[in-house]
Amino acid sequence: MSTQPDSASAPATSSRAGKYLTFFLSGEEYGLEILKVSEIIGLQPITRVPRMPDFVRGVINLRGKVIPITDLRKKFHMEANGTEDTCIIVVQMKGVQTGIVVDRVSEVVAIAEADIEDAPSFGAGIHTEFLLGIGKAAGRVKLLLDIDKVLVTSELEALAAAQSHAA
Amino acid sequence: MQHLTLDDAATLLLQLEASDTADLTKLRDALTTLAFENLVPLPAQPFVARAARVLGTIIAGTTADANAAFTDVSEAIEEAMRVTDASAAPIMPAPAASAPAASVAAAAVAAAATPTPVAPVRSAQHDVGSDQLPEDADRDLLPDFITESHECVANSEAALLNLEENPSDEEAVNTVFRAFHTVKGTSAFLGLSRIAAFAHEAESLLSRVRDKEIAYAQGCADLSLRSVDMLSALLASVVTALEVDGRIPVPVGYHELLDALASYDPALHAHGVVLTERGESEQRNSASPDIAPAGNSAPASTNNRANTAANNAGAAPSSAAANAARQARGEPSTDATIRVRTDRLDRLIDMVGELVISQSMIAGDESLATGKAHELLRKVTHSGKIVRELQDLSMSMRMVPLRATFQKLARVVRDTAVKAGKQVQFVTEGEDVEIDRTLVDILGDPLVHMVRNAVDHGVEGPADRAKAGKSNAGTVRLSAYHASGNVVVELIDDGRGLYREKLVSKAIEKGLIESDKSMSDSDVFSLIFAPGFSTADKITDISGRGVGMDVVRRNLESIRGRIDITSAPGNGTTFAIRLPLTLAVTDGMLVRVGQERFIVPLTHIHMSFRPEPAMLSTVVGHGEVVLLRGELMPIVRLHRLFDVPNAVESPLEGLLMIVGDGKRRKALLVDELLGQQQVVAKTLGAALGKVPGVSGGAILGDGRVGLILDVNETVALAQHDGTVPLKWDRDRQRDVAA
Repeated sequence: MSTQPDSASAPATSSRAGKYLTFFLSGEEYGLEILKVSEIIGLQPITRVPRMPDFVRGVINLRGKVIPITDLRKKFHMEANGTEDTCIIVVQMKGVQTGIVVDRVSEVVAIAEADIEDAPSFGAGIHTEFLLGIGKAAGRVKLLLDIDKVLVTSELEALAAAQSHAA
Repeated sequence: MQHLTLDDAATLLLQLEASDTADLTKLRDALTTLAFENLVPLPAQPFVARAARVLGTIIAGTTADANAAFTDVSEAIEEAMRVTDASAAPIMPAPAASAPAASVAAAAVAAAATPTPVAPVRSAQHDVGSDQLPEDADRDLLPDFITESHECVANSEAALLNLEENPSDEEAVNTVFRAFHTVKGTSAFLGLSRIAAFAHEAESLLSRVRDKEIAYAQGCADLSLRSVDMLSALLASVVTALEVDGRIPVPVGYHELLDALASYDPALHAHGVVLTERGESEQRNSASPDIAPAGNSAPASTNNRANTAANNAGAAPSSAAANAARQARGEPSTDATIRVRTDRLDRLIDMVGELVISQSMIAGDESLATGKAHELLRKVTHSGKIVRELQDLSMSMRMVPLRATFQKLARVVRDTAVKAGKQVQFVTEGEDVEIDRTLVDILGDPLVHMVRNAVDHGVEGPADRAKAGKSNAGTVRLSAYHASGNVVVELIDDGRGLYREKLVSKAIEKGLIESDKSMSDSDVFSLIFAPGFSTADKITDISGRGVGMDVVRRNLESIRGRIDITSAPGNGTTFAIRLPLTLAVTDGMLVRVGQERFIVPLTHIHMSFRPEPAMLSTVVGHGEVVLLRGELMPIVRLHRLFDVPNAVESPLEGLLMIVGDGKRRKALLVDELLGQQQVVAKTLGAALGKVPGVSGGAILGDGRVGLILDVNETVALAQHDGTVPLKWDRDRQRDVAA
């Protein structure tokens, strides 16, 4: 199978095909569009920001810029468990830089549209709206994240939480 | 009657009614002539022009309230008379900027049955077709003005073209309106009255479009585009004046276009204003065909200027002499500027700030301190010098002198004094003091308010002053200077001063306070900043509505400014505004709470102290208060508010920091003070949204991020959380006391 995105034949859905940076979270492998990733940095001292929901770990100094850090484990309601490989992926969404904490960065893979399936519905309680789809590469399943949706919902939730806290 | 004078116009106006259309038209045309043929001094022209325009609306019957419109007209004429009287400049005879222009105007007036002989004789002695750059023109500001205005022109041109495609695009109308408005304001302030008058007319036309008074029809579009061209030409004239001899030539077609703007009538001109070829006059009134020959004769006139303009684009310099001068020079003007997006500039300044921090980290590195790496130390020191210079430079990039702000206020003082019938001398000092550009923008409005207040409330009328044994003219002094890392702007008047008793009784009446017991003079004076507070006995259109001073304070607080009042009855009032040099750097106190560190802006901290057990008490079981020098202040526990673990629980072991002001003072409980620090404030990133109680973050010396506390919001948060019972450990206090 081809790893090249076939944009001419399927313009409507071809946007999902492309290169993904994969990383591990609690044993599951996730993928992030490589174009959204600006860099990967080691875990560094994070300044906690008060009155924020727990998945907002705080802010760090990225070469003079203050960027917020989201803990994806907490965001996805997994158990907090830092490892030596824990690192921060800095993503760029709509010009805003944000860091996400992941367990371990794996590799960069190219996934063709044909190898991406829509996320199945698991029924109530399991949110899949921030999944672009589920990719298959080298016999493994990679959950492809729509990072804009992940972080946008986090922002909205954070705001809502802060407001209910203040009220 | 040779010319209608302003006095005649005023008299005539009194005798007329809205129905006397014919006479009103005559009056309007006469005023138009007055305004645009230099028969009144330049400063008065905008007022006369306004009178003419409002008259136009009365004639056309488009005004909602004819009486109000009449008042408007008579006010404008009065103002014009006053300005005329005040102006020392002799009234020029009819200008001969371009002979055809004058004759067209004459023809137009004649058509309106006002016999106005015009002598279009070009005078060799005074070329009245040119204005002089104002004597006191600020040549430093003019290039900025021109750059800015060119931008406005470009914006409005684009918007106008857009508007032609889509006539209902309100935003486009607003863009053009704003552009003209900006140009009008700045040029008036720079003393370029011709540009101001022109921009005013163009703006008026657009404001009629904006207010849906007239539709944006073809004629309107023509006029607007022509106005934009004319504005370019006027700007080019100013450039010429700057470069050559200070004379601002009047672009060809100026008077005609002004006329057309002033008399634009949707009914007559909706399908297009007939304008002859560029640079020549247009038919101003389709009802008077006899002016057509005059208009058409223009190209025939061997007017050098007209020909030059006709051969050039609208924005080209309209004077052949200027053209020649420019070609001869063949080089760009010396003080070239580049406009840079502020976010880029901010980022640059940010980066330089970080560079300074990382440089100091290198310089402080242990391996350098051993003394072995002598060469390296020398290099590091050298780069340190460069970095510091870079920092100074980057800070200076955002700085502008206060001169422009002060000059604008001179006008405010003059106008307010005239309106209030007072004599006021305005003195400024320290106009060269530089301050961050964003601060200047925000400082402007509060200062206008305060200066107006000083003139209207502060300075007494001549009679009262004589009674008090003061000279007739009051003095309002505005000075700026540097003091301990801040810029202080002082506004001093020698007027009646503030009366403590009057303020107190007013405040009690308004329910702001119950009594003035335990209030210092400065506390009492601060009452004037309370919303809705005014001691003026009667409300004028200048001041007395009680809005203003609270806005003043809010504006100043938004830029971390502080305002202090000192005053003595009969001896005037001094307002001292303390401002940070720049918003990019915050002076903060680094405090520790548990294992976390916060930065509290110094401007908000009054003092900090470790309380004695006797100073602490509780109210109704949970509200904790501290009594300091007779003042009771609630204690706000930062660690509880922000959920910080392992922080000092008892105020006796920590420190109380008095923050806030007036009645809203609070004592903030922190573990310890780590020291004062200058930090570069940054946002926490859009993804986090607004964090309650935190205004931003800053990189601390160790490279970690410290959060900057928003004191007002923190205090408000504490108020919210007040419903949560505070469990102050009284036993512990007793233990410590024992």
